[in-house]
Amino acid sequence: MNFPLRRTSAQSLASAVFRLREIGILFALGAAVAFFAIRAPNFLSTGNWQGIAQNVAIVIVVGVGETLVVLTRNIDLSVGSIVGLTAYLSAATFAHHTGASVALVALIAIAIGFGLGLVNGLLVAVARVPAIIATLATLAIYRGVDVQITGGGNITAYQLPDRFLKLASTKPVGVPTLAWIAAGVAIVGAAAVRWAPWSRDFYAIGSNPEAARFAGIPVGRRVITAFAISGALAGLGGFLFASRFPTVDAVAAKGFELDVITAVVIGGVNVFGGSGTMLGVVLGALLVATIQDGFTLLRISEFWRLFFNGFAIVVAVTIDALVTRRLQEALRRRRAEALAARHLEAGT
Amino acid sequence: MHRRRLAVTGIVAGAALVTMLALTLSAGARTSKGYKIFFLPKTTTIPVFTQNALGAKAAAKELGDTITYNGPTDVSGPKQVPFIDSAARQGYNGIVISTSDPNAVAPALKRAAAKGVKVVSYDGDTAPDSRTIFVAPSSNKLIGAIEVQWASDETHNKGEVAILSATPTSPNQNTWIKFMKQELAKPKYKNMKLVKIAYGNDDPTESAKQTQALVQAYPNLKAIIAPTTVGIQAAAQELQQEGKCKKIQLTGLGLPNDMRKYVKAGCANKFGLWDERAFGYLATYVVHNVIAGKLTGKLGQTLKAGKLGTFKVVVSDGNKPVVVLGPPLAFTPKNIDKYHF
Amino acid sequence: MTAARAIALRLLARWETLLVVAIVGAGIWSTTLSPFFLKRANLLDLVTPYIFIGLMAFGLTFVVVAGEIDISIVSNMAVSVVCFAQVFDAGVNVWLAALIGLVVATVLGLVNGALVSVLDLPSLAITLGTMAAYAGLAYVILSGEGVASFPSGYTKIGGGYIAGNELPIALPVILAVAVVLGIVLHATRFGRYVFTIGSNREAARFSGIPVMRVRMAVFAASGLMAGLAGVVYVGYFGSARADAGTGSLLDVVTAVVLGGVDIFGGAGSMLGVFLALVLVAELRNGMQLANIQGDTQDIVIGGLLLAAIVAGNLVRRAQTGRFRVRPLRLGRKEVIAHDAADALMPSKLAPQNLKGR
Repeated sequence: MNFPLRRTSAQSLASAVFRLREIGILFALGAAVAFFAIRAPNFLSTGNWQGIAQNVAIVIVVGVGETLVVLTRNIDLSVGSIVGLTAYLSAATFAHHTGASVALVALIAIAIGFGLGLVNGLLVAVARVPAIIATLATLAIYRGVDVQITGGGNITAYQLPDRFLKLASTKPVGVPTLAWIAAGVAIVGAAAVRWAPWSRDFYAIGSNPEAARFAGIPVGRRVITAFAISGALAGLGGFLFASRFPTVDAVAAKGFELDVITAVVIGGVNVFGGSGTMLGVVLGALLVATIQDGFTLLRISEFWRLFFNGFAIVVAVTIDALVTRRLQEALRRRRAEALAARHLEAGT
Repeated sequence: MHRRRLAVTGIVAGAALVTMLALTLSAGARTSKGYKIFFLPKTTTIPVFTQNALGAKAAAKELGDTITYNGPTDVSGPKQVPFIDSAARQGYNGIVISTSDPNAVAPALKRAAAKGVKVVSYDGDTAPDSRTIFVAPSSNKLIGAIEVQWASDETHNKGEVAILSATPTSPNQNTWIKFMKQELAKPKYKNMKLVKIAYGNDDPTESAKQTQALVQAYPNLKAIIAPTTVGIQAAAQELQQEGKCKKIQLTGLGLPNDMRKYVKAGCANKFGLWDERAFGYLATYVVHNVIAGKLTGKLGQTLKAGKLGTFKVVVSDGNKPVVVLGPPLAFTPKNIDKYHF
Repeated sequence: MTAARAIALRLLARWETLLVVAIVGAGIWSTTLSPFFLKRANLLDLVTPYIFIGLMAFGLTFVVVAGEIDISIVSNMAVSVVCFAQVFDAGVNVWLAALIGLVVATVLGLVNGALVSVLDLPSLAITLGTMAAYAGLAYVILSGEGVASFPSGYTKIGGGYIAGNELPIALPVILAVAVVLGIVLHATRFGRYVFTIGSNREAARFSGIPVMRVRMAVFAASGLMAGLAGVVYVGYFGSARADAGTGSLLDVVTAVVLGGVDIFGGAGSMLGVFLALVLVAELRNGMQLANIQGDTQDIVIGGLLLAAIVAGNLVRRAQTGRFRVRPLRLGRKEVIAHDAADALMPSKLAPQNLKGR
């Protein structure tokens, strides 16, 4: 049977499109860098790039989890609230137990995030609440819990041990620690999505849930897993957030979900689910952060940045959809050609 | 299967019932001695308002009044409106409000006033015709003057000074800068020279960058005045990282909690802000006196505000009638541990 | 089972009936919470602060019934409010300025509609983008203190009271709007088209319904209602600023979903949405009168939103007597949750094509 052949051609075409997508973002990134380098003084300075790396790090960490969720054709709007809640809880733990081990607190934050994500997953997969509604509700609920726990107060840098604050201020080999952590998470995420057998299920579910179920994939369990991982990484993100912005109150990371989703969508993760790469997400986050940094340097108002964020999502989704449509037409044509060729073979 | 679903439904319903019961109990009964005062912040999520409320509760205890502190979770004038209406319906005697949208809350406050509720605004003023008195933390002139004073104290009254502001369009900032310039023009500050006004956009990263640029561009810089809580914190961090704390003095407006670390490290020896607890305390005394009919908003009236002393109803920054808390409080390494906000 | 009993059961299982029961229940609860709840002035004024939310919910209902979503609706209102204010501030008559606000909102709705229907893009992602874009645009148009000098003849309509100063003028207004929109949705050809497209777009196309135009129209309607909400908002609060409506999206979506509108499209009623609005307003009012903290209120409303969907799932299954998960049917209301996105943004894209037709 020439089944393998067909698959290879389809796969190579798909990966070509992914590569095209990543090259497209790289190109945009290059253009942005060139533009700002000419227009904005200081843009190319090491300090500025370290700043960009720090700003983008937490977006990437949370974005990797969000990507898994979006791959399964769902969305997680509650990550901003999870980041805010775990940021406060991490800071509060340090404030009350100054001697606490950094790794332990990180694990606690991840565990709490995991639990909150699990709730999202159960709501979506078991209680059958559409992801957008479920996470819109938990966005409000988790933030409400956050406000109650903080009691309207805050934790400040002074109450936090230096070991913890160093996470955000140290720069091994000139690259901020936060960025190293983000790179680690992105690499593990990319590797998992590429090689772990179960991770391919996410793509399958996103491409066609019905077929995935018939193929014996435990759809519900995978969706719960995706949300739980997204929650856990948001928990890690919250832990890092507290180190980066050590004055933590109940409004910390409000609206952060929009930054994350922007990065994921611009990074080429298809909102229909089923396609997208971690490299794309990292590049997407970098592109957004670079442009926002450039806007700041050029003293363009905050509000234009907000406008731009939204505009970029619309453009990215439009391009994506058009490209996907082309891809599918091409796929169908190839399949038809292969079929025709087979018939021809059979005929002769 | 059926039974399991019933069980789940039962558990959910039970949980809902328990929650409702808990809420019912937490709503609680209240004693009806003294005045009932509703303290409505811009939002309950920001710590300074929690501090205002603590001061307000202390004042209410002294006065025998009851304070209810509640507000929306978003900074939004319209979201305060249901709270105002609800306070009026519950028969509160007075409302103390800080708002971000002076006009959006005005109609509701007037509705409340029509029901006999006395309204006092503080911190974020409302439209003047919708409240009896505004309690201001300080006056712009006092803020501008005292910051120059602090910079002068720390630099032995000589040398180059720079200002690290928020955004070029912020009205508060620009008024303060105007008064700082006026103050610096006085003969007693003739040896101090304002070299640059930088803008950090109230963004920590940008403020840090601007500080770095100031340090590099003005090698003889002796002091930075940052009249913004975001700016002063970022500047302190930057000066500490660059090891310039001895050489360049930092002053301005900042929160003690934000700055404690840098004060202890010797990177900010004198900066200020009003005492947020005293602010809430004073506002409560004002509303109490308004309810009692002792204050009507006539200029020149005076009130005794417990441990804070006597205050006068005045015109301040072109606004009236206003009760002004006073010049900002100076935080120094000696007194900073007394303040927690 | 006798016929009478079956009818009674069916009526009992109707979502609107449940809402009425919930409203009565919440009323009893609110009465135990606060002695001020049952006052006539309070009951009449219950919905007033949430009327702009209700108007947006009515607009969103059309979109959701058509199987789409519009989360940019609150940002859209903000843009229309600031445009209205800027035009008014430039010296234009207030009613004309309000009309311009409506036009702007409708145009922004049409932008969403064009992207979704002509280019066939997912409405969730598109309106997520325009949500941010419009919010930014509002600030660009009018940053700072905003406009507040609206003539009292205008603000009377939004915030005035008649009948012994107890009946808010806005209450009969929203009732009238609800009735008109109810007729449009339930008793016109357009409304029927919206339902048909929401339950099965392919079938709608084959039966000759101008699918593209109708989908465009529901987004325009959603925009128009956002504009109307803005006009009422300015009337009620007497203040126009770029942050108009901040944090209202949860309430808007809750009203629609709690109103029994099927988030997968194809089912829902204007009456249900109106009742849900009353329920949300009632709960918030009751909790406010009991001085329950704002954050607890948010938790309760969020929980209510979740409970509404779960209860909806149970009721639907009880009605059809199915307790087993059936194989999926894409784009239909029976689809299970993983296909939320599918139902929210049904499209000719990935799923169908990869089915290897």
